[in-house]
Amino acid sequence: MTVDETDLRLDGNAVAGTLAEVFGFDLTVCWGGCAGCGATNQLGALLVYAHGMGTVACCPGCGQHLLRVTRGEGRWWLDLRGLAWLQLDEQARMTG
Amino acid sequence: MGRLSWRLATVAEVRRETPRVVSLALEVPGWDGHLAGQHVDVRLTAEDGYQAERAYSIASAPDGARVELAVERLDDGEVSPYLAGELRKGDQLELRGPVGGYFVWEPDRGGPLLLVAGGSGVVPLMAMLRRRAAAASDVPVRLLYSARTLEDVIFREELAGLEAAGDGLTVTYALTRAQPAGWAGYARRVDAVMLEEVGWRPGERPLAYVCGPTRLVEAVAGHLVALGHDPSRVKTERFGPTGVP
Repeated sequence: MTVDETDLRLDGNAVAGTLAEVFGFDLTVCWGGCAGCGATNQLGALLVYAHGMGTVACCPGCGQHLLRVTRGEGRWWLDLRGLAWLQLDEQARMTG
Repeated sequence: MGRLSWRLATVAEVRRETPRVVSLALEVPGWDGHLAGQHVDVRLTAEDGYQAERAYSIASAPDGARVELAVERLDDGEVSPYLAGELRKGDQLELRGPVGGYFVWEPDRGGPLLLVAGGSGVVPLMAMLRRRAAAASDVPVRLLYSARTLEDVIFREELAGLEAAGDGLTVTYALTRAQPAGWAGYARRVDAVMLEEVGWRPGERPLAYVCGPTRLVEAVAGHLVALGHDPSRVKTERFGPTGVP
């Protein structure tokens, strides 16, 4: 079996725990807007590539990188420039 | 619903489901329930401090402090060979969750339901079926389950029992690699024709949940939308390259 990018593609469900750790919300049910094409999606529907270097979540409509998350040296690095907006629903707040 | 902190779970039972899959029943003190379809993150720490985290879907319906996972052993995996091969009753492991409220079904969401599974992608769908049975829900469900062989079908006996209850569940298998003698069912990968034969008409407005290897999930979701199903009623969960049927 050959493994290429398609096989490695996951979705927002796979990084629910990591995103919850950073944001304190279950982002898979929260809505966000793509700064590229304007599509709105729950983050569970985003396409995700989880590599050793970190996690990239992309718009399922146009492929734009919406969110990049990397951890290292006791810090989280977030690049959210592809996200026009993000709505955090109180119902999705996680408890400690 | 969800908890962020890592906590220690104790293995209460290890049950072999198929040659490659084991069910792990875990006792998690303070577990306050989950929704059908959610998962947990499992964290293993090596003696040198190296940590590996993986997400595993919960197979069980909410039931007190007990949480059941089903883990498929991936030969080149970092975590699954340990979970599905070496873990014994009484061992402990770290987990957090439940997490992920997107790929979730509860009886009040209604139906009819179309569940499409590839390989171990059946695990979160099993949680939905167990939840439905526990709630005595009569939401009509059609499960289409693609596996390599009949021996690779997880939960086969239990699925037969649920189907025999006659409360609106039908189970259809597609065996992609080998079929028993006299097999009259599908002997190919899930395709559009199969989805049309097994699934609901778009006008019946089913809720569809598709889970399994990425290629299967994306192909099935594409077929469903092309057949006229509402994309907002098709939910997907990709397991990556694992368990390709």
